[in-house]
Amino acid sequence: MKTDLSPRMKVALYGLMCILLIPFVFPTWWMVTSSVKPISDIFAFPPDIIPRQFDFSTYSQVFELQPFARQYWNSAYIAALVTLGTMIVSSMAGYAFARIKFPFSNAIFMVVLLGLLIPSEVTIVPLFQMFLSWGMINTHWPLILVPVFGAPSVFATFVMRQFFISLPVELEEAARVDGLGRFKIFWTIALPLAKPALGAVAIFTFLHSWNLYLEPIVFLSSTQMFTLPQALTQFTDAYGGAMWNIQLAAATMTALPVLVVFIIAQKQFVEGLAHTGLKG
Amino acid sequence: MTNLAHDISKPRRTFWTMERRDAAAGYIFIAPQLMGIVLFVLIPLGLVFWYSLHEWNVLANTFNFRGLGNYEQLLRDPALPQVLAASAIFSAGLVVFNMSLALLLAVLLDQKLRGIVVFRTLFFSPVVVSLVAWTIVWGFLLQNNGGINGLLQMVGIEGPNWLRHPTTAMISVIVVQVFKNVGLNMILFLAALQGVPKELYEAARVDGAPRFKQFRRITLPMISPTILLTSIITIVGSLQVFAQIAVLTQGGPGMSTTVLVYYLYQQAFQFHFFGYGATLSILLFLIVAVLTFAQWQMRRRLVFYEN
Amino acid sequence: MHSKTFLKSAVASAAIAASLAWSGVAWAQDAVNLRMTIWSGNEAHLAMFNEIAEGFKETHPNVNVTFEPLPFENYTTTLTTQIAGGNPPDLAWILETTAADFVNSGALAPLTEAFEATEGYDMADVSEQATALWTRDGQLYAYPFSTSPFAIFANNDLITAAGARTPADLIEAGEWTWENAFATAAAVAQAGEADGLVVRDFNYQVWQNVASIWNGWGASPWSEDGKTCSFSEPEMVEAMTAIHDAVFKAGAMPGPGENVDFFAGDAAMTITQISRASLLPKEDPFDWDLVPLPTGPAGEYAVVGQAGVGAFANAPNVDVAVEFLAYMTNPENSAKLAQFFPPARSSLLNAETLATTNPLLSAEQLEAVVIAGISNGKVLPGHTNFAQIQQTVRAELDALWQPDADVAAVLANVCNRIAPLLAQ
Repeated sequence: MKTDLSPRMKVALYGLMCILLIPFVFPTWWMVTSSVKPISDIFAFPPDIIPRQFDFSTYSQVFELQPFARQYWNSAYIAALVTLGTMIVSSMAGYAFARIKFPFSNAIFMVVLLGLLIPSEVTIVPLFQMFLSWGMINTHWPLILVPVFGAPSVFATFVMRQFFISLPVELEEAARVDGLGRFKIFWTIALPLAKPALGAVAIFTFLHSWNLYLEPIVFLSSTQMFTLPQALTQFTDAYGGAMWNIQLAAATMTALPVLVVFIIAQKQFVEGLAHTGLKG
Repeated sequence: MTNLAHDISKPRRTFWTMERRDAAAGYIFIAPQLMGIVLFVLIPLGLVFWYSLHEWNVLANTFNFRGLGNYEQLLRDPALPQVLAASAIFSAGLVVFNMSLALLLAVLLDQKLRGIVVFRTLFFSPVVVSLVAWTIVWGFLLQNNGGINGLLQMVGIEGPNWLRHPTTAMISVIVVQVFKNVGLNMILFLAALQGVPKELYEAARVDGAPRFKQFRRITLPMISPTILLTSIITIVGSLQVFAQIAVLTQGGPGMSTTVLVYYLYQQAFQFHFFGYGATLSILLFLIVAVLTFAQWQMRRRLVFYEN
Repeated sequence: MHSKTFLKSAVASAAIAASLAWSGVAWAQDAVNLRMTIWSGNEAHLAMFNEIAEGFKETHPNVNVTFEPLPFENYTTTLTTQIAGGNPPDLAWILETTAADFVNSGALAPLTEAFEATEGYDMADVSEQATALWTRDGQLYAYPFSTSPFAIFANNDLITAAGARTPADLIEAGEWTWENAFATAAAVAQAGEADGLVVRDFNYQVWQNVASIWNGWGASPWSEDGKTCSFSEPEMVEAMTAIHDAVFKAGAMPGPGENVDFFAGDAAMTITQISRASLLPKEDPFDWDLVPLPTGPAGEYAVVGQAGVGAFANAPNVDVAVEFLAYMTNPENSAKLAQFFPPARSSLLNAETLATTNPLLSAEQLEAVVIAGISNGKVLPGHTNFAQIQQTVRAELDALWQPDADVAAVLANVCNRIAPLLAQ
C-alpha cells in the first residue's frame, strides 16, 4: 500500500483529509477561542471564528477562583501513579495468562475479563460503601486503587496477554534451560521486549485516568482534593450561572499538555503497537 | 536437562517440580489483578444483585426484600422494549460508523505524506478535549438554526431539525460520540496497518492485483485480529454511553434515544429507585456478557492467523 | 392508632437520643464536624458561608462546618449516592424540583420547633407562601434560602427598531397582557433582525419553566393535593394553545431546537429569574428593562423559583445541624444571604436591602418585580417523585412541539401517562 504517490493523488488526499478534519477540529477551535472571548460573545450566533477581542485574563482567573494548580497536580500525580501501577499489575497478569501453565488459568482469565464488561455506574454505589467503611472517602485512594487493580486495568491485562502470546517462546526457553526463575525471565527478558505494548497501555491508562469524571465527583468532596474534570464544573458566578469563558480556559489548559505529549510520543506509540500486532 | 538431573539428585526439592513452581509463579503473577477483580468487581456485582432483590428507596431509607419482584417488574415494564430497541440501534450504528471511519482514517494516515503527524494529532485531538466543551459545541452545531444547517443552506439544502426528530436525533448522538472517540480506534488500526509485512504487498503487485483487491485480500485478513479487538471494545463501550445523550436529547424526542444505561441512570439516580436500577444493571451486564462471548466465539471463524 | 403509638415512641426515643447527644456535646465538648453540600463553587458564596460558620463558632467553639460544592448538573445524583452509600451530609441544599421528594420521604429533620425556640428567630417574619413547598403537616423540613421571582427582561433597542410597543409603554397604558407581549415579540421576529420571546432554560424540555406563562391562564399541571392531573383542563389547553400559536403561527417564540440568547442581543424578550441580570453585557450594552410578567386571562400573577436547605435526620449530629441551620437563617444572617439570594423574610423585602443585592436594578424595578413577586409568587410546580413525572411529561410533550400538533389530544395523553404516577 505504501508506494510513492503521484502529485495529483497527494493533492486529493490532502483535500480529503482537510474536509474530514472539520468536525474534529472545529469544537477544539471553539473551546480555545471562546476562552478569550467576553462571556456575552460566546453564545452569539453565528459564532465568530476569530474572536473580536482577546481577553487573556480568564487564564489567570482560573487560578484565582479555584486551587487550580493543586487540582492540576492531583490529576497529574493520580494519573501517573495509576499508569505506573497498571503497567506493573497488567504486565504481570498478562504474562502469566499468556505464558505460564497453571490450573484454572483459562477460567480465571474469563473471570478477570468480566471487569471489561461492567459500566462504572453499575458498581459505584457498592464501591462507595466499601471505601466509606475503609475511611477512604475524600481521599485519592479510590481513584488509584480501583483503576490499578479493578475493572479499568483489565483492558491493559488483555493487551499485554495478547502481546506476550505473539512473542516467540524460544527466547525464554533458553533462559529456562539455564535455570532462570520465572520472575527473572519476566523481568530481564519478557518485559524489555514488551516496551511497545507497555507504551500503548500507558497512553490508554493515562487518558482514562485524566478524563475520569463520575468517580471523582462521587468520592471527593473538598476543592483541594478535586481533579481537573471535576474542577471544570466549579467555575460559576454568584448566581450559579456557568462562567463559560473561564471554564473553557481551564478546559484548554486541561487538554493542551496531553496533546503535546501525544505529538511527541505518537510515532513510537504507533510503531510500537504495530510490532505487537494485537491478536485476538 | 542438566537442570532436571540436578533436581533429581536433591530429593529434598522434589515437591517443587518445574510444573509446581510454574503454577506457584503463575498465581503470584496474577494475584494483584485477581484480588482487585474480586474486591472491586465481583463483590460489588454481588451486592448489586443483592440490591436487585430489594425495594430500596434511598431518600425514604427503606430497604425491603422483594424477591424477584423487580425482575417481574422488568418483564412488565412498558418502556423496556423501546429502550432495548434504542440501545440496539445506537450500538449497531455506533460500531459500524466508528469502525469504518477509524479504518478509513487509518488508511489515509498510513500514507507517506509530508506533515502527516499534524493530521494524526488533529484527528486524535477530540479524545483529550473536555467532554463538556465537546457536547456544548455539538449541541450548538445541531440546533435547527445551527452551524450544520447553515452550511447545508449554503448549498441549497433545507436541513432537518436534527435533535427534534427521532431518526435524526439518533444519528446525531451516534455521530457526536464517534467523532469524540474514533481517534483511539484509528490509532489501533494505524498500528495494525503498519504491522502488515511489506513483502505481501510486493508479491501481490507482481501478480498485478489492483489496490482494492490487495486491501481485501491482504490488508483486511492481516488486521482482522485488531478489528475483532476494537469491535469488542467499541461495542462494550457503546453500551456505557449516556453523558452526551443526557445533554443533547435527554433521551428524546419521546423515548427515541433513551438507551439502557441512560434508563438505568434515570431509575437509580434521578428517580431514586435503586432496587430497580440494580435490576437493570444486571440486565445490562448480561447483555454485554452475551455479546462479548458471541464475538469471542466468532473469532475462530472470522479472524485470520498467520500461524 | 398503631402508627400513632409508633410515632410517639419514635419521638420519645429521638428526644432521648437528642438529649443524650446534647449532654454528650456539652459534657465532653467533642469536636463536631458538620458538612453541607451546595451546588455553588463560587468563592464569594463560600466566603460568606465560611463567615457565618465562623460566627457560629463563637457560641459553639467545638463545631466546624465545611461546605462541599458539587457540580450542579450532577447535584442530586451525587447527593443520593452519598446517602445510599451511608454517608449523608449533615446539611444539604435542595432543588425546588426535588423538594417534595426530600420533604415527604422523612429523610429530613423537622425544623419548626427548633427555629421557634431560637431566640430572635421570628418565624412569623418568614413568608408563608415561600415555605409552602418545604412544609408537610405544618412542619417545616427545609428553609427556602433563595426565593427568586421570574420576570421579563426586554431589549428596548430591538423593540423600538421593529416599531413595536415596549413593555414599559404597555404597562403605562395598562395593556401589559400576554396577547400584547406576544404581539411585540412577533413584531421583532418579523423585522428579521432578532427573535421574539425566549423562555430561558426551557429548551422545550424543562417544561416546568413554562409555568411562568401558563399561570397567567390559571392553569396548573395537577390539582392542589397532587393526586389528579390537570394538564387536560380547559385552562391548560387554552394556555398551551396560545403558546403553540405563538411559536408556530406568529413566530413570536423561537421554535424547538433553536438556541437563542437574549443576553447576547439575539431576542426581544426573555423570561428568567432576576439573578440573571448579571449576564447583561457590560461592554456594548443595549437599552434593557426589567418588567413583571404580563397579565393573562386569569389576571395578575407571579411565579418564583426556590432553593431550600435542610438537615438530614439520620446524620449523627442532627441536633447541632438544626441549630446551625437556625443560626444561618436568623434575621441577621438572612440579611447576609440576601446579598446573593432573594430572601423569604418580609422584613428584608424592601428596595433598600435588595438594592445591595441587585445593583443593576432600579428601585422601581425591585419594587414591581422582586418584592411583589416574592410576596405573591406561586412556586414552580413540584411533586413527590418529580424526576420521573418530569421525564414522562417531557417525552409526551415532544409531540406538542410540532407545527401541526393537536394540543388537546397531546395534553390528554400526558394525563393518561402520568395519572398512575400521581396516584401513587
